[in-house]
Amino acid sequence: MNLTRRNFLQAGGATALLASVGCDKIPSALKSLLPPTSASADGPFRPPTSDEIDPVSHILNRVSFGARPGDYERVRALHADADQAAALFLERQLEPEKIDDAFAAYSVRRLETLVEPLGELFEYKEKVLLDELIRATLLRAINSERQLYEVMVHFWSDHFNIDPSKGDAKWLKVADDRDVIRKHALGKFSDLLSASAFSPAMLWYLDGRVNRRSKDSDKPNENYGRELLELHTLGVHGGYSQKDVMEAARCLTGWTVRATEQSRFDIGKVEFNPRQHDKGRKTLLGHEFPAWPDGLSADEQQQRGSDEVLTVLKLTAEHPATAQHIATKLCRRFIADEPPATAVAAVTQAFRKTDGDIRSALRALFSTPEFREARGGKFKRPFHFIVSALRATGAETDAGQPVVDFLLRMGHAPFHYPTPDGYPEEASPWMGSLLWRWNFAVALAEGRVGGTKIKADMLLKAFGSDAGLMAHLLGRKPTATETSAYHESGAGLALMLAAPSFQRC
Amino acid sequence: MAKLQTFVTGNGDERRTLVVVFLRGGADGLNLVAPLDDDGYYKARPRIGIARKDAVPLNGFFGLNPLMKDLEPAWKDGLLSIIHQAGSEDTTRSHFEAQDLMEHGGVVAGGWLGRFLRFRNGAPAGALSAVALGRELPECLRGAPSATVIQSLDEFSLGGNSTKLQRQLAGLYGLESGPLGGAARDTLSAIERIANLRAKPYLPSNGAEYARDEFSQGLRQIARLIKARVGLESASLDLNGWDSHLNQGAIMDPRIRNLAEGLASFTKDLGDAMATTSVVVMTEFGRRVVENSAFGTDHGRASVMFVLGGGVTGGKVFSKWGGLKEELLEGPGDLPVVHNYRNVLAPVLQRHGAGTDFSKIFPDFTVEPMAIYG
Repeated sequence: MNLTRRNFLQAGGATALLASVGCDKIPSALKSLLPPTSASADGPFRPPTSDEIDPVSHILNRVSFGARPGDYERVRALHADADQAAALFLERQLEPEKIDDAFAAYSVRRLETLVEPLGELFEYKEKVLLDELIRATLLRAINSERQLYEVMVHFWSDHFNIDPSKGDAKWLKVADDRDVIRKHALGKFSDLLSASAFSPAMLWYLDGRVNRRSKDSDKPNENYGRELLELHTLGVHGGYSQKDVMEAARCLTGWTVRATEQSRFDIGKVEFNPRQHDKGRKTLLGHEFPAWPDGLSADEQQQRGSDEVLTVLKLTAEHPATAQHIATKLCRRFIADEPPATAVAAVTQAFRKTDGDIRSALRALFSTPEFREARGGKFKRPFHFIVSALRATGAETDAGQPVVDFLLRMGHAPFHYPTPDGYPEEASPWMGSLLWRWNFAVALAEGRVGGTKIKADMLLKAFGSDAGLMAHLLGRKPTATETSAYHESGAGLALMLAAPSFQRC
Repeated sequence: MAKLQTFVTGNGDERRTLVVVFLRGGADGLNLVAPLDDDGYYKARPRIGIARKDAVPLNGFFGLNPLMKDLEPAWKDGLLSIIHQAGSEDTTRSHFEAQDLMEHGGVVAGGWLGRFLRFRNGAPAGALSAVALGRELPECLRGAPSATVIQSLDEFSLGGNSTKLQRQLAGLYGLESGPLGGAARDTLSAIERIANLRAKPYLPSNGAEYARDEFSQGLRQIARLIKARVGLESASLDLNGWDSHLNQGAIMDPRIRNLAEGLASFTKDLGDAMATTSVVVMTEFGRRVVENSAFGTDHGRASVMFVLGGGVTGGKVFSKWGGLKEELLEGPGDLPVVHNYRNVLAPVLQRHGAGTDFSKIFPDFTVEPMAIYG
């Protein structure tokens, strides 16, 4: 049987997934959501043919959560030259708003908490909110055509990490994910920072809500002020002093959020209480905030409170160390655990020149030779590994508890990292996760992951041969050793997913 | 840089395992460890109090519930330490609130055990460093570098073709220089140990026999994993159903029996390995001192904690008993908390992770570790 690409996608890939997210029939309009067909629509997929990872495989590895069946061919067809094809794909990915993503939206349509307004979130059980948020995160990473956007959502979720198990963040993180992280993931850094600073979930998580000075003896709570400087903006070696931490905290006194324990109305509302604000003179990063004069009206006090926060956010967002810090983290994510200084410098410069435009920083990063050359050398974190395995096999999954359980075993379930620094990006903390990676690879190949199915025989047919399937999974031609191991193992697909090369991107 | 040869064992050569037993529902400490010399106790509990003649004598003043007689050998061997009037600062007396706060270790993100495993000194956690017996991850383990919820050892399998597959994995990873190659070797060795374990039926040592209830069977799985040396650093399991508002005996007695039998079998089975094992038993709150009209007790404050294992100052009840006079009680007549649960956990964590920075484990609390070790 000569299986066509279109048949595969309809029978084994996206369509089956549609059926899994809801029991209803697939709307005919959704058929257009399948990835656009290429000239080779009637033939089997054409996986990579070079011995080394080529530019197209490289960006699919690094800038997306991994290639699905057909992705390589689709991107490769964008231009005769592989570098140009990769560049065109990147350019498209940098404009996600122009990419139709109705299928990803369709896959999360039943997760109603995602679209609930802030106040309504309190009507739900915390467990429902967390489960839906985790499922949505997985489903979008797996299904979205806007892959770079989802990768950046993941990046900022770590950068502005909130573990929702603290206080009212249990309810509020859903709104933070939507209105802070997802809203600004490819926007201006200053907008992202300011949305995060006023996010009720963040005010809970880093104690901003109890940072107050109602009387002279009150000491400000420095938690948010410290992390703002150390993690969110300048970075630990960014040249600020302990005095700056204290002064930042003083500037932010009085900003609070209505808590479930106090109120039934407007829970989660962020407000400024001038009576709890430290009105004395302050100096932050060399900038002076004069003491408040007496006799300000209520409106004037509100205005002044806002101005003070906005100035703090502007000073930190625009600080040169912030550009360097963000650039370093981006290069660590996209290039190497030890990011090359020249690439960091190029990204820093782009970030500064564009007042913290995240797309411009990424564009600069992707055009560095260091990015282009760093192929296959990054260790996938467990989330990336799981999602890439599901994508590579065209799995249909409900992203339910069995998948999340694997992430918990590997210590990388979304929204489970307790401290504000977010999950580590480097390889070393994840080295202990091999047992569960292998377990997942075998379970997936054998169809033993609950709520998840693959059609291994159709997958093999779609690539025409074992060698073709291997090339798809590896992003290059398999070596002789890999080929022989694949056949000797008696479980070729599982072996390839568990192999060292598939742990890297 | 991490020492690679220790990935299997996670905690390196020490191979210490911490078992956390959570009694959900608010276990009545006064009915587990009774103040036999306190007249107030019998006044408050004329119908459900434990008579001195029935109790298992501890230090004269306190006595164990007779259904806990199985734990007498551990007490006499100096393996069991009892902390009375232990609990948290939470005054809501709500199961959910109190459990949540106690498992997180305060108004903090993540669980205290999860943070401990992530931030303790030493080699990084291995794949099997933290196991929870049951169906879902307990909140105390939240944020752990690895947390595995299992119901049985079968879940560790690598599938039907595992031998051939493992050989090929060993071949491919053998070509890897650097940390990944080392991690793979350690992982293969862990798989082998688990496979050996699964290959033969488990025979507990020293003539220990586990009861058939879920709690004892859970402890049996834990003992098995400890002996297999797969790097188990922490195991968690719950014993539920302590909410004894009415007919306290009917509700509590079977659970007390499960608890004592399970822990006694576990101690016997592990034998010498108890020297490197600690079991902590905790509950979200105790119960009202005065029995209610339905032969039960309502939600209260302090309860009791048990620490069982190597190195403890055994045979001792830590308490600052003030008596059960009404003016000494808290709120509607509850035993006040004298020993914050974190101060009980702290020395245990110190033993399992020397030099641990408590400001990371209990960031909103200044820990004063109790001297439960000699």
